[in-house]
Amino acid sequence: MRAPGVSTFLVAGAIGIAAGLLSGLLGVGGGIVMVPLLVAVVGLTQHEAHATSLAAIAPIAAVGALRFALAGSVDLGVAVLLAAGSLAGAPLGARVLRRASDNALKAAFGALMIAVAAGLLLA
Amino acid sequence: MSAEAALATAAAGVAVGAVSALLGVGGGLLMVPFMVLLLGTDQHVAEGTSLLVIVPTALAGTIAHARNRFVSFRHAAPLALGGVAGVALGATIALGTAPEHLRVVFGVFLGAMGVRTLWQAVRADGARSSG
Repeated sequence: MRAPGVSTFLVAGAIGIAAGLLSGLLGVGGGIVMVPLLVAVVGLTQHEAHATSLAAIAPIAAVGALRFALAGSVDLGVAVLLAAGSLAGAPLGARVLRRASDNALKAAFGALMIAVAAGLLLA
Repeated sequence: MSAEAALATAAAGVAVGAVSALLGVGGGLLMVPFMVLLLGTDQHVAEGTSLLVIVPTALAGTIAHARNRFVSFRHAAPLALGGVAGVALGATIALGTAPEHLRVVFGVFLGAMGVRTLWQAVRADGARSSG
């Protein structure tokens, strides 16, 4: 176990600020920034980094959602449907998808992100 | 919302949950474009809605991982503190930016992350096949 001192606190805090900025700006969780930094800078394992970032994302996303809600920028009906689907489907989907190779999935997901990005930029 | 749109939204939720559970990457990157491109949601509303959906899903994931003792709460606390400050500022910037401009920023970020993800997969594949 690493002994977390003041510097670890400051480093993790700085990573949190960066991830939070991105989260609020783009409406994403911020794990895409936190996980690699927690591994590379703080020295957590991939598993620890993933789990720890999720724990931080819950309050960050809550504050972000509140900020958007105060501006009237939340669709509650869509949120309920997406959350229900996501919570119900995550374990089931993960079990089915686990049969495919991680790398093939990652490549497919990367290609999908590029295609969706093109859609957003060109539409 | 029509019944078809409601069904498509719940199905998108299932897909988002599955992909994030498996790859550990955020559902927000998929949910926001789904809402903008397929439901015709305003970029601001899509981002706020995405953040709201992330709250219960991240909580469920945290509970599952905490049981396995993977969560380092000593690191999660400063992350959340910094994150809460960052997200308040980031959301304020987003709400003050025109939706069509914000959509371009989102698209560029998503494209960059897509290239990175694809590159990581290709590189890992190459490393494996070359021994």
